[in-house]
Amino acid sequence: MIDSIILWFLAILTAPFFSAMILKVKAFFGGKKGPPLMINYYTLIKLFKKGSVYSTSTTVIFKLGPIISLGSAITVLMFLPIAGYPPIFSFNGDIIFVLYVMGLGRFFTIAAAMDTASPFEGMGAAREAYFPIICEATMFMILIFFYRLTGHLQLSAYFTGESPLALWNLAGAPLLFIVMAFFIILLTENSRVPVDDPATHLELTMIHEVMVLDHSGPDLALIELGSFCKLFFYSTLISRLILPFGSSVPGGTFVVYIAGLALVYLIVGIIESVIARYRMDKVPQFVLTSFALAFFATIITLEFIK
Amino acid sequence: MSQFFTAILIIILGGSISLVLARQVRLMRIIAVFLLSAGCFWGLFNALTNLIQSGSDTASFTYLNVFSLTFQMDGLSSFFLVAIFAVSLFAAIYSFHYLEDSQNPLRTAVHYFFFSILIASMALVVTAANMITFMLSWEIMSLSSFFLVIYNHHSAENRKAGFLYFVFSHVGAMFIFAAFGIAYGYSGNFGFGAMASLPDTAKMLIFIFTFIGFGSKAGVFPFHVWLPYAHPAAPSHISAVMSGVMIKTGIYGIIRIYALLDFHTPVCGNILIIAGAVSGVLGVVYALGQHDIKRLLAYHSVENIGIILMGLGIGMTGVSSGNPLMAILGFSGGLLHVLNHSIFKSLLFMGAGMVVHKTGTRSIDALGGLIKNMKITGTTFIIGSLAICGLPPFNGFVSEFFIYIGGFKGVALDKSAFVMSILAIISLAIIGGLALACFTKVVGVVFQGEPRTKAAENVDEKGSSMLVSMVILAAACIVIGIFPRIFIHLSLNAVSALGLGYARVPLAPFERITGNITFGATIFLGVLLLVMAIRFLAYRGKSISRSGTWGCGFTQPTVRMQYTGSSYAASILELFSPVAPLEEKHLKIKGRFPVKTQYQSHVNDIADRHLNRLIVNPVLSLFDKLRWIQHGDIHLYIGYILLAIVLLLFFI
Repeated sequence: MIDSIILWFLAILTAPFFSAMILKVKAFFGGKKGPPLMINYYTLIKLFKKGSVYSTSTTVIFKLGPIISLGSAITVLMFLPIAGYPPIFSFNGDIIFVLYVMGLGRFFTIAAAMDTASPFEGMGAAREAYFPIICEATMFMILIFFYRLTGHLQLSAYFTGESPLALWNLAGAPLLFIVMAFFIILLTENSRVPVDDPATHLELTMIHEVMVLDHSGPDLALIELGSFCKLFFYSTLISRLILPFGSSVPGGTFVVYIAGLALVYLIVGIIESVIARYRMDKVPQFVLTSFALAFFATIITLEFIK
Repeated sequence: MSQFFTAILIIILGGSISLVLARQVRLMRIIAVFLLSAGCFWGLFNALTNLIQSGSDTASFTYLNVFSLTFQMDGLSSFFLVAIFAVSLFAAIYSFHYLEDSQNPLRTAVHYFFFSILIASMALVVTAANMITFMLSWEIMSLSSFFLVIYNHHSAENRKAGFLYFVFSHVGAMFIFAAFGIAYGYSGNFGFGAMASLPDTAKMLIFIFTFIGFGSKAGVFPFHVWLPYAHPAAPSHISAVMSGVMIKTGIYGIIRIYALLDFHTPVCGNILIIAGAVSGVLGVVYALGQHDIKRLLAYHSVENIGIILMGLGIGMTGVSSGNPLMAILGFSGGLLHVLNHSIFKSLLFMGAGMVVHKTGTRSIDALGGLIKNMKITGTTFIIGSLAICGLPPFNGFVSEFFIYIGGFKGVALDKSAFVMSILAIISLAIIGGLALACFTKVVGVVFQGEPRTKAAENVDEKGSSMLVSMVILAAACIVIGIFPRIFIHLSLNAVSALGLGYARVPLAPFERITGNITFGATIFLGVLLLVMAIRFLAYRGKSISRSGTWGCGFTQPTVRMQYTGSSYAASILELFSPVAPLEEKHLKIKGRFPVKTQYQSHVNDIADRHLNRLIVNPVLSLFDKLRWIQHGDIHLYIGYILLAIVLLLFFI
């Protein structure tokens, strides 16, 4: 229990660090030196020191947005088995709770954007509401896959200790599909290239960044921290799946986990460096691919794995 | 049952007195609302005690010595009675200020009369214990609600809505009559008890016929066509009652007939899950395309009926595949969703009613920024929206969570049950996402941002009785969401009345689930408090200023530039264009500096369209040819009746 709480705390603390790795990778591909790895901490500290300017159009919902989006991200991390350790809390069906708490965070992020009366933020909000619909369907398809294999409906049953390795032994080939589907969800839910470009300069083409245009100071810091945590959540899941190995050496599992995590951020960085954002109307097709992958994986388990 | 009938009598008395007092408008409203709510409260109290003690009570009256009117109040009836009386209670209170500035006192009086009849007949429908009683109550319910739909009968649109509703409820009733006819034909008995002993083919036929009949009342796709017309036409508290509980009598019918037939084939579950998935997904897609706030809410009823059907379908699949846990999870989740939906949907209709009442428009894109002047309405509407999206810690999440868990139990089963479970789970997930998109649209466009037209400026939210009802319903959404234990007990008591052959429903596994929901909600609220504390500390002693919204470099923004509801939904609707074709009308742009243009869009409901093409038009052209039968001579009409009876005598 104690190590789980420490890990949870470490996750929140180190999430900004890992996100900075993506920036470093992108800088490397651009032939630049890039910002320091601590850049996100500097930004957060800077933001926390500032005051805020609120739009005259906004109401209290605008201020609730950052609180609930960070609150939901932190809550979700409490149910996440980090580095193979059991999570702080776990119950039958916790993954459904986790997905819906994220939905609550999304509701308020969108509501905060609509509060500003800005046409650009409305545009971002409409896209933020759209793509996760498909992601949610994929997530539940993946859950069906996991349930079929393990008979459990909680994150700790899939990602604690040796269970990822057991999953590979049980259904290696379909699990490859699942990893790919997870990766597409990661890119979509966290507004990365090729779904959204966090570094674009035109508000018209943004999704997540345009929704937080009017937030400033500590409010913006809460939102940023929340999105680092969210990315960390998905990366941890994929990290445990791509490097499912444990180690008898004390701390060995932890090192493997960190390596997996670094690998995920590295791949995100590479994808962001080598491909461009899709046209908005192509994005749904990209996201639907994840559903198709998860669906095929499940169908395969139905026939071949008893 | 005498207490139950006392409650019914008080309600009908309230409605009848208002007819007498039509001249003293204020006095009439006070007395009518008082008696209606007193009767509902008494009925609610009585139903709750009966449900908690899981008691069963019957009463029988012999009517003209031919048919006996029999009533029975078991767990299932009591459960629906709780929803009916609770929603009617708050709708009655709400109506006090809603009908305040009604121009026509007589019309208000007639409305209270039919309103009381509607409440009473709904209560009688769910307690009826034989076919005659059931059909009698059912028809009274359909007729009284028809008169409420055409409350505002000066508008041609409302008359058309009323007519459509009339046709659908009677075609639906014909199917139920046919099903009961089959049952009577085999057993020669009007009692419900005889249905269990029918042959299987008759059972199948009865199940399908009653499914169509009750489905058209409940608003199951494709029999939902009347719903988006009738609900906006009625006054808002009537929409709340119709959408919140009246359509649930259809659900009651389906589940009651299922229990009576004692017919456990997988087909029943499959029909319900497929119908539920289609209604659920299409309902919310069409809702997303609406421009009229009450029509949008009406389509959401179609969606939620879909969720309920999927819950019940999972329950039936659980029964047919011998998985009691899955069966009880599905049934109790579906039934709890009946209660939950009646609470949040009536809350939303009341909120929409307040908006329509104060601004005079139902068009979403004409509104905006209302929460600044309508704080209570806005807040309660947001709570209702979160609940209908199934988000924790609100009540919609609890019932969907139960249905999910039940669905996942089916994933471990064999092929047909497996496919059905996948269908239900994925549909629920998609519905959740779409509902979130739809309600962020409503909340964002109606209540947030800046007023788009004059109508939305300088509104107020006077009317304490309306606010009280909304606040209590919103509080119920939160209480059920955080402490669902007692409410799951209620729905489990209703499930045990189904007689599924499980000796006793064990409470422990379900209490563990509700315990987990409470636990998760508490953690989440705790974390929120923590983040709020951090935010409070971060803002201590900081300078906070206000300024205009960042216009991305554009310096002359107007309120008309805000994203509209139509554009918000456009890209999502594009994904569903095969089932929800979008019709757009706009002028061609002329010249280099076009001055004025206009744009109209309309999402076509494919059920509406194809019913017109395949059924309405052929029937119309057939009847056109038979017009000569109708010549207005009353003697010949009597001749027709005689002839028909004589012909029928040959067959008996």
